[in-house]
Amino acid sequence: MAQRIPNHLVSNSLLPYLSSSPSTSLFRLTTAYTSSSLTDASRPASRSFSTTRPSQTKLRREMIRWLRGKGSELQHHTPGETNYITHTNKPFPGNPLYRSDPILSEDMRNEIHRQVTVQNKSVRAVSVQYSVDMRRVAAVVRLVELENQMKEQGKSLALPYARAIHEMVPVTHLREHDDRRKSHETINDLPVHRLTDPQIFYPVSESRQFNRIDAGRVFSAAPALRNQRAEWLEANPDETIRRITQESPANIEKVGKGDEEHQVLLPADARIPHPHMITHERNRLTIGKTEPAEVRQKYRERLEQETQVELQRKERAQQRLEMKTQKVQPENSRFEFRFTDVVVSRETTGLTGRGHKAPGRRYGVPSSDRKKGQVKIPTRVKV
Amino acid sequence: MVVRIRLSRFGNKHQPFYNIVVAQARSARDSKPLEVIGTFNPVPQRPTGLSDEEARAARAYKDISLDRSRAKYWLGVGAQPSDGVWRLLHLAGLIEAKKVPSN
Repeated sequence: MAQRIPNHLVSNSLLPYLSSSPSTSLFRLTTAYTSSSLTDASRPASRSFSTTRPSQTKLRREMIRWLRGKGSELQHHTPGETNYITHTNKPFPGNPLYRSDPILSEDMRNEIHRQVTVQNKSVRAVSVQYSVDMRRVAAVVRLVELENQMKEQGKSLALPYARAIHEMVPVTHLREHDDRRKSHETINDLPVHRLTDPQIFYPVSESRQFNRIDAGRVFSAAPALRNQRAEWLEANPDETIRRITQESPANIEKVGKGDEEHQVLLPADARIPHPHMITHERNRLTIGKTEPAEVRQKYRERLEQETQVELQRKERAQQRLEMKTQKVQPENSRFEFRFTDVVVSRETTGLTGRGHKAPGRRYGVPSSDRKKGQVKIPTRVKV
Repeated sequence: MVVRIRLSRFGNKHQPFYNIVVAQARSARDSKPLEVIGTFNPVPQRPTGLSDEEARAARAYKDISLDRSRAKYWLGVGAQPSDGVWRLLHLAGLIEAKKVPSN
């Protein structure tokens, strides 16, 4: 593939007015303008009807002075570098703390695409290896595929645009990862869950352990675990997280009745994108000093196992869908008809007939909130 | 009064979407029916996740969801399908094709 960003040699064809010759139209314009305002005799014909002098405000004079002085340094853009007014890589002079997020370099995204499609590495493994978010890895694979498709079809790529963007924002290069000093972004951020919004004051006995599993249960108003079970979970943290993340999501405990039924909030260790890294870190701290090879081996096995579990889960979901679907291809039709089984019952439609598990766009049940005698003051607080 | 199995139109302008409903024959098309037994999306969908050769050979499909047991029950108690629903139920293998009078 053609290298898109040659090192520091490319001129910016997206912004030709910044890299043109020194006698630019701007200079000619300002000089012509100032001279005409000073000497009345050489006024252009277009101003003959006006008797007022063109107003030259102080701000405008200062601007022109700046354009000739400091501003002239910014007139020519050094290829491969930013051309911000701050002379640093911070684009906004009024906001010195702002720094744009880095983007992936050309070779880095090609490498990510190669590892996923050619080497068949899992998105999870590649994400950890390059410290790139899993969603970004997936996006890179899709976009590079799209680019290759466009090249095959002979469509033109927006190369000047890409070049300009690569010059304007920081870029994470592939080689920076060889010595593992720099990461592209944080990959294990805990997403904020709606259930954790309220502040809850929850008294706990001092004789009892209170950990993240318990915190999740308190947030989702589930009863506390029995002591024996809580002790086992505490003693086997790796196995606990493995079970939560690898077993079917249908096994997650539920609380509440009817429409109020919801899953118990999982501990933060299981909700982060890469729960397996906690086990890896724990292994590194315990046996990593003496047996680093074993830690790496275990890490690879864990990733492999997780990939297998994920594959099986997808296959089972596909099979379930196939079993529920009947495909009919009539002789006299261009189309295929796919019949999916659904259930209409009191359980799915609910008492109001508007349950979301039932098929069909729902029918409006008349709202009674404008009728007489409806109390609109809330009678209880929902958290 | 006759009970019919028919389509009631939902969705927006140029985006038709039908509920397959069981309703009294003289009630309005989109009024609250006796029961909703399925849906029919007449807009053909392109199958996704296929290779290039497969995609060329694949037919576009129309999505139908149907509760077969309820459909059978309503047919059993004498509900009359409309022409469109008759065709769908025939494709699903629930009833014979409608006999068109030859003249």
